[in-house]
Amino acid sequence: MEFSAEALEGLHLSGDSAHIPDQSYINLCKRVCEGVLHKNGVKRLEGDKQLSSLDQGVVKQTYAALATLVLEAAKHDADSNTISAVLEDCKYNTERIKAFNNTYLPQKPYLQLILGNTGTNPPHIVDVDWRLDYYIKNNHLEKVNEAVYLISLKTEECGFEGTKSIDFACTVEQLQDMVGKLKDACKSLERSSQM
Amino acid sequence: MEEVDKIIVHTLKGIGCDVEDVQSLVQFSTELIIEATVRCLKMIDPQTDLPMTLPPAMAARFRLGTSLASAITELGYKGELGYQTFLYSNEADIRRVLMFLIEKLPRGSEESTEEILGGSAVLYRSIASELSKRLSSPWTPPQCKNKGVVWRGSPPTWHREGCSSVRAFRSAHLSSPHGLGDLTKKIPKDVKTYYTKHMPYILTQPVHRDDLAASILENNATYLTAQHEWDQEWNQLGLASRLTKEEYLAKKRDRLQKRIKDNIKESVKLKENAQKTPQDLNDIINSISERSGLQGKTKGSRFTHAEKLQFTQDVPGSQMTVDPTANTEEELKAKREEEIEKLQEQLERIATDFENLDIEIRKFTASSQQMEEIIATEATKNKEKETVYKVKKRTLDLLPDADNNIAKLQSVVDTSAQRLVSLANQWEKHRVPLVEKYREMKALNENRESEAEKKLEEIKAFREKMKDVAADARTKEDIYKQLVTEYERMTKDVNRSAYTRRIMEIVSNIKKQKQEIDKILIDTKSIQKDINQLSGKLDRTFTVTDELIFRDAKKDEAVRKAYKYLAALHENCDILIKTVEETGFVMREIRDLEDQIDIETNKKVLDNLDKITADYKQMKKENAHLLAKLKGK
Repeated sequence: MEFSAEALEGLHLSGDSAHIPDQSYINLCKRVCEGVLHKNGVKRLEGDKQLSSLDQGVVKQTYAALATLVLEAAKHDADSNTISAVLEDCKYNTERIKAFNNTYLPQKPYLQLILGNTGTNPPHIVDVDWRLDYYIKNNHLEKVNEAVYLISLKTEECGFEGTKSIDFACTVEQLQDMVGKLKDACKSLERSSQM
Repeated sequence: MEEVDKIIVHTLKGIGCDVEDVQSLVQFSTELIIEATVRCLKMIDPQTDLPMTLPPAMAARFRLGTSLASAITELGYKGELGYQTFLYSNEADIRRVLMFLIEKLPRGSEESTEEILGGSAVLYRSIASELSKRLSSPWTPPQCKNKGVVWRGSPPTWHREGCSSVRAFRSAHLSSPHGLGDLTKKIPKDVKTYYTKHMPYILTQPVHRDDLAASILENNATYLTAQHEWDQEWNQLGLASRLTKEEYLAKKRDRLQKRIKDNIKESVKLKENAQKTPQDLNDIINSISERSGLQGKTKGSRFTHAEKLQFTQDVPGSQMTVDPTANTEEELKAKREEEIEKLQEQLERIATDFENLDIEIRKFTASSQQMEEIIATEATKNKEKETVYKVKKRTLDLLPDADNNIAKLQSVVDTSAQRLVSLANQWEKHRVPLVEKYREMKALNENRESEAEKKLEEIKAFREKMKDVAADARTKEDIYKQLVTEYERMTKDVNRSAYTRRIMEIVSNIKKQKQEIDKILIDTKSIQKDINQLSGKLDRTFTVTDELIFRDAKKDEAVRKAYKYLAALHENCDILIKTVEETGFVMREIRDLEDQIDIETNKKVLDNLDKITADYKQMKKENAHLLAKLKGK
């Protein structure tokens, strides 16, 4: 976990009780997590009376630095020890480190979720609808008498709300073939989970 | 034996035997023994196909016992083994068999390989555990999930079962105030007001809110890489150039600016060359006018002129509409058109005139510039000629009184030569110390340079060392972390420490026992020594007295009697000693026999005999039953 000089300067600043008093510091930590996680974080930040009484430039700088710290820590899955080491280097006292950890650690999975939202994925099958039709005849043949499965795979795609569907029809053999392949895939997953 | 039993019971618990309330092997029933043995065999060789429970029929029981015995002897068990070991068990045999099986369990080898694998193994294991967790969790329909994410357990952990919330990585540049913590640096007032009043929070800086995390991480990474690059450059080039940081930066900036300037100049020159060919110029203008939709009007200047003229012309046109002499609209229109044509012609004429005049003006300015240049060159030529003329005039003036003047000139030349010589002497005087000083300085400078170079080398070495040490520290930290995770995993299995503690206890017990044995040995040795000494003494005193009395015995009857008594006494004492030794032997034998009896009673012979007779009876019954069945058929 490394930080740029700018971020480190901001961290030094936020650890300094001359610039940010203890109570405002706790509020600031909360607002940072909220700001990164929730959409209305900005409003809460602007409405915070504790913070609006401080020098806004300092608040902005420390806010940027703490946001960087929070996200980098979530990226590296840092535990309280690693964070304490970083903050001790920035001359935080133990109470401030504890306050930061108390705000950050419960939010870590949510932050990691936010980070996990970044990327690209192939379409992902999440559901399936199926129907079994009995195909009796057509205009060429008087007698067909086959079972036909209509499968509709529901997929989710990146950056697209709701599901799309992939529809196809298959005979029993084809369906069995597909199910066999899926079972193979499941088995290989199980095998790799038992390492 | 209790320790061993505890270890055996613990291990059996580990492989899934139901031995919760059992403390020692004495309490093991036949069923339990069979189950434990079969489980161990299955752990060692998963293909073992034996039932865990005792079958009810006697014959099947014996078959199971013999197959168990053969399986264990196949594994390499050296002792005596048969069906009776399992069915009519005694403690010692079972202990030996179970100890052998537990030693053979495959657990140890796995642990050792895991420890070697290290970091990647930890990663693989966490992946495997995550996979198994997800495999065991049930499927949830997409409507029940919040954007394809499932939260489970407490503390909540999530995993993705879809990708509707995933977005591509898009980052925006973020800016935040900096330098506010450092009071030594002054920040301009307007910058400060910008920081406090107008600069937006970084939350609102990216266009889309979801890009915030990506932007922040990207920002940090870019600054970091820039810093690293600068460090590297400074280490490699900056230190070697022997400039301060600011100077080096200024130099680099100058170099870059110069390069940019050169590039711009070059491209401008290229463009100018291209513009000089009129074909290209026309093309460009045409393309521009086509784009702006103003076809036909090729020149912007002309277009603006035309517009102006049209506008001024419009005003009288509007006045004319008021004119009462114009009767019909058609006339008016014709008139107007005529007028417009006229004006158009006029306009075109004026425009061409204007253009011509423009070209002429340009020509004149060009010629005037040329003229000025010519004038300047002529003026310089004039000056040169004037100086030449002056010199010639002086020489001409001097010509009439040639001899005198020559002499004068000669004297002037001589004095100047003398002066030159004296000056040269003086210069020499000054020069020598200066040259020496210069040399000294040079040497000093060289020294200093070499020192500086040395120091530079040192600095480089130090930097490299620093890097190495930092890298070392990092790797060590990684190893430490890994070991910590491994340790956390290890502590779960308590029996390891319990084992070691027990082993240590056993070892210390053995040590104590050994010491005691040694003591006893020493005691026996000393006693043996005493005995030897005493018997030696006895022998010697006996021979001495024997000789003394034997000498006197020839002379005196009473002494002869005494001699006889002495011999008898000696014999009797010998017999006594022998008896004592024999009693010792017998005692030892008795003790041995008692031990053997104990062992035999431990073997539960009576119980087993009872069991065997019961089994024998049952077998007989079964046989009779079978016979009856056979006969019945």
